[in-house]
Amino acid sequence: MTWTSIAVRRLRALLRRSRVEAEMAEELRLHLEMEAAHRERAGLAPDEARRAAVHAFGGVEHAKEAYRDARGVWAVEQVVQDIRYGLRSLRAAPAFTAAVIITLALGIGASTAIFSVVHGVLLRALPYADPERIVVLWENDRDSHTEREPASVPDYFDYAARARSFSALAAFAEVPLNRTSADAEPERLAGARVTANLLAALGATPRIGRGFLAAEDAPGGPRVAIVSDRYWRTHLGGTTSVLGSSLLLDDSASTIVGVLPPEVRFPTEQTDVWVPMQLSPTSAPRSRHFLTLVGRLRANVSVTAANSEAASIGKALESEYTSDNAARGASVESLTDVLVGGVRRTLVLLLGAVALVLLIACANAASLLLARLAARAREVAVRAALGATRRRLAQQFFVESLLLTLGASTIGVALAAVGLRGLLAFAPATLPRRAEIALSAPVLAASIAVSVLVALAFGLLPALGGGAMPGDALQSTGSRGGTASREHRRFRGWLVVAEVALSLVLAVSAGLLVRSFERARGVDPGFTARRVLEIHYQLPPSRYFQSFSNYPGGWSKILGFQRDLVARAGALPGVQSAALAYNDPLTAGFANSFRIEGREAEAERGQAELATRPVSASYFATVGIPILRGRGFTERDDASAPLVVVINAAAATRYFANDDPLGKRIRFWGQFREIVGVVGNERFGGLVAVAPPAVYPVVSQAPMTIATLLVRTQGDPRASLAAVRRELRALDPNVAPFDVQTIDEALATSTAPQRFSATLLGSFAGVALVLALVGIYGVVAYSVAQRTREIGIRVALGATRSDVVREVLAQGLRLALAGCAIGLLGALAAGRLLASQLFAVSPWDPATFGLAITAIFAIAIVGSYVPARRAAGVQALEALRQD
Amino acid sequence: MAAANRDVVQGTLDMLVLKALSLEPMHGWGITQRIHQITKDVLQVNPGSLYPALERLQDKRWVLSEWSTTENNRRAKYYRITAAGRRQLGDETESWRRLVAAVDAVLRTS
Repeated sequence: MTWTSIAVRRLRALLRRSRVEAEMAEELRLHLEMEAAHRERAGLAPDEARRAAVHAFGGVEHAKEAYRDARGVWAVEQVVQDIRYGLRSLRAAPAFTAAVIITLALGIGASTAIFSVVHGVLLRALPYADPERIVVLWENDRDSHTEREPASVPDYFDYAARARSFSALAAFAEVPLNRTSADAEPERLAGARVTANLLAALGATPRIGRGFLAAEDAPGGPRVAIVSDRYWRTHLGGTTSVLGSSLLLDDSASTIVGVLPPEVRFPTEQTDVWVPMQLSPTSAPRSRHFLTLVGRLRANVSVTAANSEAASIGKALESEYTSDNAARGASVESLTDVLVGGVRRTLVLLLGAVALVLLIACANAASLLLARLAARAREVAVRAALGATRRRLAQQFFVESLLLTLGASTIGVALAAVGLRGLLAFAPATLPRRAEIALSAPVLAASIAVSVLVALAFGLLPALGGGAMPGDALQSTGSRGGTASREHRRFRGWLVVAEVALSLVLAVSAGLLVRSFERARGVDPGFTARRVLEIHYQLPPSRYFQSFSNYPGGWSKILGFQRDLVARAGALPGVQSAALAYNDPLTAGFANSFRIEGREAEAERGQAELATRPVSASYFATVGIPILRGRGFTERDDASAPLVVVINAAAATRYFANDDPLGKRIRFWGQFREIVGVVGNERFGGLVAVAPPAVYPVVSQAPMTIATLLVRTQGDPRASLAAVRRELRALDPNVAPFDVQTIDEALATSTAPQRFSATLLGSFAGVALVLALVGIYGVVAYSVAQRTREIGIRVALGATRSDVVREVLAQGLRLALAGCAIGLLGALAAGRLLASQLFAVSPWDPATFGLAITAIFAIAIVGSYVPARRAAGVQALEALRQD
Repeated sequence: MAAANRDVVQGTLDMLVLKALSLEPMHGWGITQRIHQITKDVLQVNPGSLYPALERLQDKRWVLSEWSTTENNRRAKYYRITAAGRRQLGDETESWRRLVAAVDAVLRTS
């Protein structure tokens, strides 16, 4: 009960302050008068009586203070006072305030942005039920040393039947689908053929409607579809009436039976629609591998257990089907690892780098705070002498520190938001779970907490710990600050050394990554053409008949399409040449097992595979790949002529080291083809990888329903896009072109991950160097200010200006040297850690180290320059007279 | 140590004020006079201690205050003891007596 009465009274004191003060004054005044009157009655003269009364009072102001204290100024009122005072004193030192706020804001902003990305991609669980139970069952090929291979249809059914580890084992394959509609352009959708139990494996339920029924997943079943949430909202109206409507996919109508929930973006973020796979164990041969298997583990089964079970089933299949499944095994990997495993390393690297930035920012802020504290020693001493209690002073410093961090946090949040958006826009397309990345509140809170700690630790504790003893500071001679502040000065020096060391680590890391990126960019991709436009297209199977029984001769419609397309595109104005390829020059495509005639025994031992890249006759000329031996393709190599292929130099070296490949025959896809030429390697496996061996059949003998049209232009390739689209539409208005890009863009995309890391780390290093510069400047400037008198004496004793300047610069350089010495170890360690990310650059690359160290010394000189100038301007008498 | 002393002193002062008010409501100066009287000039209470004590007593609801006029038609704040205050006074008096007896016993035996 007393709590409420206290609260009420405090509130009144707060809200009606002037009234309450007036009452108090009146009460005390009356008391004084009555006391005086009493003494008058006792016989004193009026003014004597008054004086005696005042004396007995014990000091009016003191009484008032005691009264006020007892009344209890509510904490809020004190805080308001502190805030006002804090703002005033911060405004009076704008350079300091700005420096601390910006430093902390940079630290908070950068670390929050990166932490948010790491949180969204690596730390947060996938948006499915029990995501740790969802796994992918891969096959692997021991001979070609490939892991993570897709499975074949019969293999899938065998795994599903024999494995005990899964409550559901589903399969899917990504497949592009042409959607046509009466009133719109044909559209290419990112689709997936899935088995009906995929939703069960993922543990998801549709947002509206239902999943596929078993009947719909049987061969010959009805055509149905499930759309993604995004596609439903953007293209289908986003209403429940979509259920039961139909989509024209690849020229046949599919009824929509369900809509996926928004968090299920499977198998890719861009997937628009699922259709049932409608498989039976004989739908495709065991040698064709194109299914990705996703399963949900049973309750008590671990990933390792499932992995060993899969491996043993794989082994069993290998012995049962010795030709199809030779050297083929199986493994199980958690879905999370599959999705994010690739970027884990890069993200952890970025996390480490940004942690360094945060540390540097904190060190900088700490240094600035300590310096300020020393400068305010006198002010604090005076206030203490006037009666401020330690507690009150501490409270005021506390509030001031909080004000600083509040300012820094506000700017930091803004920086984080902007930074995150920039990061996402700039991040390579391979960044998974992009849609799930958002500014993470817990991370923001953590960064702010760190800066609060720093502000408190260095803005408040030293004040409490005796750094501002009243006696010391009030002395005007000699010991400016006393022992405590000397300790602080040394501590600040070490802080800056630490900053420099960390900056060196960042600078070296950034330098290594930048060089790595430059090297990657400079790799010769194997083809010379740059102004080439790439347009992908797919011919829907319903209108372009494709049975493998009369391949290739019976595919006349497709052969005709290919021929006409190349001819028409090649004839356009501004176009130098046109060609077709199954894959564009930087995409790997698929690989087939093969047999060389006369060397079948080799093939039996190990199922080697060759990347198979069907191309049109004009391909090598269009893209600029040299023909090293023999010949390329001509018009005469058509469906009625003998089957020919061309291999690349890597294949020639690998399989025909002691032989001439020309004239030999290779067998794949059930037919023998003669090798007529050897061409240069294109780095279709990626610029930083070794060019894999490849074989090139010609599309006039290997027609494809899905292909890329390559158009080499004289001017800007994109300028010809509209014309090419027109030709495509003229040949078949229902074929939708997709994935349009130029070779230049494709090259840039292929080095995007390296560019991303290099740029980010470069920015961090830049920020770190700037902060280190500020740190060095702070320490050197302060030291010069402290030693003004000493400098004056020196000058009086005959030191020249340049002597003084040299000495100050030397101080800065000493800091840099110490920092570099310590940082060097860290930089070497960082180089080792980065080694796996580097391309063609040694982790101890001397040029990078040299450049980084030079940068550090440069900022040491720049940072010491202004204080050195100031020191040089010190006049002897002035300095001695000072203070 | 100082804090404990302060508490003891505060507690004693509170008791004296309550006692002074138990007879009739009074304003601040009047209370100091009354304490002066009752203790036969032994204890002087200065305003710096009295008014804080009155605030504390009001916080604990043992005393209520209201503005009124004196005989000389001056505005003054009058303090009045409450029923809870009277109970507290009784308790305090009791424990004070016990304390005095205990201390006395100790002093007598040595």
